[in-house]
Amino acid sequence: MDNLVNKRINEVLKGNQDAFEEIVTLFQHRLYQVCYRMLSNTQEAEDIAQEAFVRAYINIHTFDQKRKFSTWLFRIATNLCIDRIRKKKPDYYLDAEVPGTEGLNMYSQIAAPGELPEEEVERMELQERIQYEIGRLPDRYRTVIILRYIEELPLQEIGDILELPLGTVKTRVHRGREALRKQMGKM
Amino acid sequence: MNTCPEQIVHYMHAYLDGEISRAEERELKEHLDNCTECKEIMNSLSESITLLGSVAQVKAPESFVGGVMARLPKEKSRAGAHR
Repeated sequence: MDNLVNKRINEVLKGNQDAFEEIVTLFQHRLYQVCYRMLSNTQEAEDIAQEAFVRAYINIHTFDQKRKFSTWLFRIATNLCIDRIRKKKPDYYLDAEVPGTEGLNMYSQIAAPGELPEEEVERMELQERIQYEIGRLPDRYRTVIILRYIEELPLQEIGDILELPLGTVKTRVHRGREALRKQMGKM
Repeated sequence: MNTCPEQIVHYMHAYLDGEISRAEERELKEHLDNCTECKEIMNSLSESITLLGSVAQVKAPESFVGGVMARLPKEKSRAGAHR
């Protein structure tokens, strides 16, 4: 697949915009899925996933064809998702780490944003409930959990996407799993 | 409260990442057989992962590709690019 993708990229680089359409077609569902899981909103997911492709197109000359295109594309998309999440939250500074703690931030001290009453959560359909629980994860854990368990990517590839060392990815996956376990305790 | 050896939690995660050694796995299994509290933690970790895996694959809407193509900047004129 990477060969085909690189062939199309070279055509785009020569000025053939139509060649980009095939690239979009190939990756649209994976990219949309990741954005939807990150943002829990179909309209925003469509907007951000489309924007990610537009940015990829504009910056296509910076893509190193020795690398995996999907990694590069996912990096653009996850960065856009995180920007969007932070812009929506006027209190995004709560995400800053509390000094002297390992990965603990102010969210640990307060209820998750958008937390719903228990009765309402219990009435949810399974699919809706899972998305709700993903959406309650702090964004640094949410990203790795989505890439690991919904995209089913290897840890190393997640590290490449997020430009994080493998050890950090592992720690975030572990913390994300712990957080989910506690959230989902009563399912 | 929890007096279990600290490495047990690490083993649980190593197990879930498929990165546990045989010796560690044996130690983990032995512990879980004798500790209901840890066994419960292990089970609920696995369960939440299974639930994530059961999530329906969502697809981009029909109009998606067309939408991207319409948002792309206008093609540069070839004449301008090659002088």
